[in-house]
Amino acid sequence: MLHLSIFLYASTVNGARADDLEVARSDVPIRFGLTAVVVRENLRFLDQWAYYLSKKMGQPVEFVRRRSYREVMDMLKSGSLDFAWICGFPYVQNRDPEFIKMLSVPVYKGSPLYHSFIIVPKDSPYQSLDDLKGKTFAYSDPESNSGYLYPQYLLAQKGTNKESFFRQTFFTFNHAETVEAVAEQFADGGAVDSYIWEYLQEFRPELAEKTRVINQSPVFGFPPLVSRLGVDLETVWRMKRVIKGMDEDPDGRKFLNGLKLDSFGESPDSIFKNIREMAQKIRTGNPLDGSTASNENANTIKRQ
Amino acid sequence: MFSSLHKGLSVKFALTITAVVAGVAFTIGAVIVTLDWQRFHRELENRALLLAHSIAVTAPEDILQSDFWSLYKSLKIMANKVPGGTQDTHILTGMILDTDGIVLAHLDPNNNPLGIPPVHSSEIETQLFAQAREVRTPTILNSGVGNGGFLEGVAPIYSDEKLLGIVRVRLSKRELYLKAQRSTFIIIGLTLALVALGSLLGTAISRRITMPLSAMTEGMEAVGRGEFSNIKPIPVGNDDELGILASAFNKMAKEMAEKKSLEEQIAVSEKLVALGRISAGVAHEVNNPLAGLMNCIDTLKKHPEDPELVERYLPLLDKGLNRIKNIVESLLVELRIEEAHSTDSSSSLDDLRDIVESEINGRDIDFVWDNHLGTEVMINKRRVQQIVLNLLKNSIQALHDKGTVVFRTFQDGNCIILEVSDNGPGIPPENRKQLFDPFFTTKKNGTGLGLWIVYRLVESMRGVIEVESEVGNGTQFQVTLPAMEVST
Repeated sequence: MLHLSIFLYASTVNGARADDLEVARSDVPIRFGLTAVVVRENLRFLDQWAYYLSKKMGQPVEFVRRRSYREVMDMLKSGSLDFAWICGFPYVQNRDPEFIKMLSVPVYKGSPLYHSFIIVPKDSPYQSLDDLKGKTFAYSDPESNSGYLYPQYLLAQKGTNKESFFRQTFFTFNHAETVEAVAEQFADGGAVDSYIWEYLQEFRPELAEKTRVINQSPVFGFPPLVSRLGVDLETVWRMKRVIKGMDEDPDGRKFLNGLKLDSFGESPDSIFKNIREMAQKIRTGNPLDGSTASNENANTIKRQ
Repeated sequence: MFSSLHKGLSVKFALTITAVVAGVAFTIGAVIVTLDWQRFHRELENRALLLAHSIAVTAPEDILQSDFWSLYKSLKIMANKVPGGTQDTHILTGMILDTDGIVLAHLDPNNNPLGIPPVHSSEIETQLFAQAREVRTPTILNSGVGNGGFLEGVAPIYSDEKLLGIVRVRLSKRELYLKAQRSTFIIIGLTLALVALGSLLGTAISRRITMPLSAMTEGMEAVGRGEFSNIKPIPVGNDDELGILASAFNKMAKEMAEKKSLEEQIAVSEKLVALGRISAGVAHEVNNPLAGLMNCIDTLKKHPEDPELVERYLPLLDKGLNRIKNIVESLLVELRIEEAHSTDSSSSLDDLRDIVESEINGRDIDFVWDNHLGTEVMINKRRVQQIVLNLLKNSIQALHDKGTVVFRTFQDGNCIILEVSDNGPGIPPENRKQLFDPFFTTKKNGTGLGLWIVYRLVESMRGVIEVESEVGNGTQFQVTLPAMEVST
């Protein structure tokens, strides 16, 4: 709405007619927020993808990159983003009033699921999270499931003080950089998205090969794509159709291959159940009660 | 000899010029290398300071937010792009420490992990760490000399005047040494080139100077040998001092050659004059008795039967012919003496005493004989006797009836000295010039050949004859003969 009004003002100044409104609508860019979920460095790829989406949508699509989930969520809330690719953790958080709606969940290796990996430098002696006590640890984003919530949950389960278990912690706000921090031994350990780690194994093997996974989480719902509730349904419907149809045309498949994804599909809200439970446990400070965030639960989801 | 002079001077000139050029080039080179070193050092210091300062300026936000990853990444990025750095710029290490000296970011995270103080591998490291922690304005810490040395730029990190930590960036001095080495090589190369040029120049200059000098030396030696006509003119180059000298020498050589040829012409005409005089003398001396002799023979032809005439004229004929014979013999004295090679002891001179006594013939003349020559001294008896006898006869005849004649002989170094002196009337100045001319005589019956013969003999033995005479006080002849010549 904000964009529209600005445009109206401008066209009045230029003496444009009221019929231009329909054309103008299609010229207003759709703003799509991205975070640490995708590899941010590949600018040309994102530009091409945005161009593809624009063509398919008949309306310009703009990727808006922000460092943290918090910023993206704030922008969704304020209406300056129409769509966003966020993480399961922000998705499950309670919002009053709710301002986002699930659009699609990527299908990765045949399912809309992924893991959190705890990684350490390849040549380090660490074999488990316990070995990392008193060491430095890299989180990706304070609102990332795989990069923050899961390791926090693990620590909470151990009953240790989450704040003092590691000597020093920091956020990289990007899974790829977490891998980099561990690979360079700036951090003794880190928590990353399994999808990104595997993606790097293929596209930046020299980096990923310097790290080693010591802990694999149960499966979680893959970071979803969401729409802002204020966006008109027709646009949301069109976006859903374009995204979901990507695996059906060669150009779309090219981008899916670039992202190492099978497709963008639709999944029930229930795949985020264990994330929601972990978040709740952490919030209430009663992690020992969190036996529900178990492999059993995850396996149930995977079987879908 | 010329070539050694030539080489000596040309080598000296060339060496001197080369040495001067080399000295100047090396001095300038050393100054340039030193200045270069200082400049490079300042540049490296500035670079280290700039780098530390740039990191310190961007660090506060990350430190305040505990964004260590960001801090580490900016440190890494800055370290990889050293301002003004070249391919030789080598950053040894870099770190960001908090106010307690705890590592917030380190370029070697493996050995210097986040959250604890950096590792100190040596005493120097510990000292530098302590110094760096005291730094409150951008400062350079120096590790000291050596190829493994480094410069450390230290800059404090302030936010709103609150000290948050320090940045330490360490640049290797290797770049400095590489640059200094490069400029040293260039300077050495230039110096060698200059030295080569200098020696070429020196050789050229010295040739230019010494070639005319050598030619002049050659010319001088030719002059020394008396070969005036053999002197080659020296090529006159420029109109500088050498050119002036060369043309002056050429002029001199030309004049000397002209003078020599003039002298030769004079000598030839003098010889002709002398020959004419001798011929006239001989003709006159021979003609005088001849006229008498012809008269006698005519008379005898007319009166062949007159025994009185024969008796009267025969002695006259005999006397006249003897006189002619004496003249001819005297003229041939040289030839005669040459034929008689007779070396003998110097004591053989004493034989002359009797002849001289008989010449005095009872007149009131004191004769002093003073022979100081050792008997081992060998002399050419005939020649020396002839010289002494002629001189003594001359003196005795000069004294008329009264006086003293002294003969003295001795050795002086390599010379034999013969001295004959009398206290007679002396030689009038007008006669002194003609003293040794043939047929010049002041005596009624003299042939005028005595002193001429002495002169010829002394000359043939490469000796010198000196005459001192004072009218009214007497005359002294001194003959100096080389001992070598006297004995052969």
